[in-house]
Amino acid sequence: MSGSVLLVLCYALLSLFAVAFVVKCVKIARLPMHLRWELAPVPKEKTRGRYGGSYLEEYEWWKKPREESLVSELTFMGKEIVFLKALWEHKRSLWWFSFPFHMGLYLLIAGAGLLILNGILGMAGVAESGRGVLGAGIPMLAAAGHVLGTIGAFGLLLTRIIDRNLAVMTSRVAYFNLLLVLGVCATGVLAILSVPNFTGGMAGIVGSLLTANASVAAPGMLAVHLLVTLVFLAYLPFSQMMHFVAKYFTYHQIRWDDRPMEAGSQLEKDSQELLGQTVTWGADHIGADGKKNWVDLATEEVKK
Amino acid sequence: MSTRLQIQDIAKNEDEVLSPVQIDELVPLPPPYDKLEEQPGWKEIKPEIKEQIVCNLDGVVGLSLPQPESEAEKQEYVDKFESGLKKLFTKENNWAFLQPLLLTIDNCVSCQTCNDACPTYTSSGKNDVYRPTYRSEVLRRLVRKYVKPGGKLAAKIKGEDIELNWATITRLYELAYRCTMCRRCAQTCPIGVDNALVTHELRKLFSMELGWAPKELHEKGTVLQLEVGSSTGMNPVVVKDNMEFIDEDMTEETGVEVKSPFDKEGADLLLIHNAGEVLAWPENPGAFAIILNAAGISWTLSSDEIGYDGVNYGLFYDDMQLARIALRHAQTAKKLKVNKIVMGECGHQHKAFMTISDRILTGEMSMSRESCMPLLEEIVFSGKIEFDPSKNDFPVTLHDPCNIVRNLGIVEPQRRILRYLCPQFREMTPHGVDNYCCGGGSGFAIMSPNNFADWRVSVGGRMKFKQILDAFDDQPGPEVKKYLCAPCSNCKGQIRDIFDYYGALDKSGVIYGGLVELIVNAMVDVKEPFIKWEEDY
Repeated sequence: MSGSVLLVLCYALLSLFAVAFVVKCVKIARLPMHLRWELAPVPKEKTRGRYGGSYLEEYEWWKKPREESLVSELTFMGKEIVFLKALWEHKRSLWWFSFPFHMGLYLLIAGAGLLILNGILGMAGVAESGRGVLGAGIPMLAAAGHVLGTIGAFGLLLTRIIDRNLAVMTSRVAYFNLLLVLGVCATGVLAILSVPNFTGGMAGIVGSLLTANASVAAPGMLAVHLLVTLVFLAYLPFSQMMHFVAKYFTYHQIRWDDRPMEAGSQLEKDSQELLGQTVTWGADHIGADGKKNWVDLATEEVKK
Repeated sequence: MSTRLQIQDIAKNEDEVLSPVQIDELVPLPPPYDKLEEQPGWKEIKPEIKEQIVCNLDGVVGLSLPQPESEAEKQEYVDKFESGLKKLFTKENNWAFLQPLLLTIDNCVSCQTCNDACPTYTSSGKNDVYRPTYRSEVLRRLVRKYVKPGGKLAAKIKGEDIELNWATITRLYELAYRCTMCRRCAQTCPIGVDNALVTHELRKLFSMELGWAPKELHEKGTVLQLEVGSSTGMNPVVVKDNMEFIDEDMTEETGVEVKSPFDKEGADLLLIHNAGEVLAWPENPGAFAIILNAAGISWTLSSDEIGYDGVNYGLFYDDMQLARIALRHAQTAKKLKVNKIVMGECGHQHKAFMTISDRILTGEMSMSRESCMPLLEEIVFSGKIEFDPSKNDFPVTLHDPCNIVRNLGIVEPQRRILRYLCPQFREMTPHGVDNYCCGGGSGFAIMSPNNFADWRVSVGGRMKFKQILDAFDDQPGPEVKKYLCAPCSNCKGQIRDIFDYYGALDKSGVIYGGLVELIVNAMVDVKEPFIKWEEDY
C-alpha cells in the first residue's frame, strides 16, 4: 500500500470516527429533560451517600442547604471506571477478563495520547532526546495494553461461548465486537513482536498524519494492525461499545440527577415547554385529538 | 432450567405456555416452610377459562386478556403495538422518559450481571423468562427492527430477527407484569442500564396506545380515583365517617383523646394517607393522629376528592393518569393553603408525588412535599412525647419499601426511630438500599386474578419471606411474638397475603404493621398496648 493511499485511508476512517462520535454524544446530550428517575446510592450526597441516603431524609429538606461532596462522587467514579467496581461486586466471574480488557484499552488510549503528544513535540522542533518519558512510556503502554486487551477479549469471548447462561443472551454482534477488539490487540502484540521498531513505526505514522506527509510507511504486521485499529475506531460510534459514553449520562443525568424543581429555574422552563407538546397516544382514556397537549389532557380532570 | 429459552421464542406457538413456572424449582424456604407437599397448592385455571383468556407466558394469568374474536382483531392490536412502539421514541409523546429509555435500549452489553439481583428470577429457580434482560432484549430487537431505519434488513443480517405478532405482544404484556420495578437490577448494572424502566415503558405503551392495563390499576384504580376520589371507592363523606369511627375507636382503646382534623385551612401540614389504610389498617391513620396531636403539630386531612387518597397507580403504567392524579393532589394542598404535604406510610405515593411528579408540578402547582419518615424522626427525638422503649421489647425487623428507600434514598430516619424505641431491633440481610422487594410492588399487591396471587406470594414475595424468617432465626418458633415493621401500604398488603398463605402467625409468631404503631406502642401516655398480638393479621 502506497503512503498516500494509507494516508487517505487513515484520514477517512479517523474522520468518520470523529464525526460519528461527536454526533452521537451531542444527540444523547440534547435529548429532552426527563422526569426524575434517581436511584440510590447517589454518591455526591455528603456523608449520607455511604449508605445510600439522600437529602430527602432531612426534615423540611427545602429549608436546608444541600450538602454535596465532589470528592465522594469522583472517588465513586474512579473506582467504577478504573476497577469496574460494579462488576467486581455483582458479577465477579466476568470481572477477571473484563478488567484486563478494559485496562488494556485504557493503556492503549493513554499510549495513543502520548504518541500524538510526541508527534506534536516533533512538529514543534523538540528533539527526540528532549521528549522526556515519552520514549519509554509509549512502548510500555503499547505492550501492556495490547497484551491485557488480548487476554481480556479472548477470555470474554471464551466465557460467552462456554457459559450457557451468557451464550443464550449473546448476539452475533456482541461476538463480532469482541472479535474486533481481539483483532486490534492481537495484531498489536504480533506487530510488537515482528516489527523491529514498533514504537518508532507508530510514531512515524502519527507524525505523518499530523504533517500530511505521504511518505508514511507501515511495514507488514504494523499495516495490518493499523488497518484493524482504524476499522475498529470507525465502527465504534455505531456500536454498543459506546457504552463508555452512555455511562456518563446514565449515571450523571439519570441515577444521580436528583435536582428538585425550583420556581423560575431553567428546569421549570424546560418542563413547561415539554408539557406544551401535542400528544398523539391512541388509547381512548388519553383523549388525544391531535391538538391537545400534555397540560390540556392532564388538567381536563383537574378542571372538572 | 434444562432447556434454554431463546429471545425469538417469544414469537412462536402463540397458544403454548412459553416457560412454565416449576414449583419444585423455587428457591427453598427455611423450616417449617421447606416441605413442598405441606404448602398450599396453586389455584388451577380451568380449561374453559383458558379458552377465554390469553395464557401463554408462564402458566400464570395476571391480566385476563380476552382471546380475540378473529385474526383481524389480532392484527389490529399488533399494528397498534407497532404504532405505540414508535411513539415511545418520540419527544412529543415520551419526553418524560426518552433519554433513560434510549440509553437503556442502546447500551446493554448482555453481561447478565443484573440477573441474580432480581428476586423474581432468583426465587423462581432461574426461569429464563424472568431474567430482567429477557423482556428488555425482546423490546430492544423489536425497536431495532421496527423503529430504526433499515431495521428489517439489519435484523436479518445480525441474526436478531424477531416477529411482531399476537404471541409476541400478548406475552410481552403479561411479562410486563412479572417485574415489580423494584430496580434492584438497575442498581447492579455497570453501565447504568435500567431493565425496570423497560417494564415501565412497556406497560405504558400497552396502556396509552392499546388501552390494555390491569383492571385493578386502571378501571378500579386511577379511573375510579379520578371519578370518586379514591381507588378504594370511598367518597369524601365515607372517608370522613370512617375517620370519625377510627378516632372513636382509638380514643377508647388508648385512653387518649384522638381527633383527626379535616380541611383545616392554613394548617402547617396536609397529611395524605393511602386510603387503603383507612379500610384495611385503621390503626395506622389512628396512630398518626395520636402522634401528631401529642406533638402539638398543626395538621389536617383533606376531604377533597383525591385529596384523601395518596394512591397514584399511574406511576406503574400510564404517564397521563399519573399526571392527572398528581395535579389533583397538588390542587388540594393549594386550596387548603398548607405549608407542606406529608406522605403517609405509602411507598409508591412517596415516589409518585415527591420525585416522579416533581418536574410536572410547575408554577403555582409547585409546593413543599416531604416523607413522613423525617417528620416522625423529628417528633420522636424532639422530647415533646415521652417514650418507654421497654414497651417494645420484642423482636422487630424492618422491611425497606423500594420506593421510599432505593428510589428516594430515605434510609436512616426510620432506623434511628427503631433503634431508639425497639430494644430488639435487628436488620434483615440485605437491607437498606439493597433490600429485596416484598413482591407486591408496582401494583401487584392489589392484583389477585386467576392464579396470580399464588405466583405473587410464592415467587414474587419469596425472597422477602425468606429474609423475614432469616431475620428471626434466633427465635423462629411461634412462642416468641415478633413484629415486621413495613411502613408502606402496598407492602403490607403483600406481606399480609404471604403470611396468610404460609400461616406465618401460627408457625412463626410473626405479625406485621407500620412504623407509627410501634411509636404509639412505646408512648408512656398510651396505657394499653397499642399493638394487639392476638388480632387476626
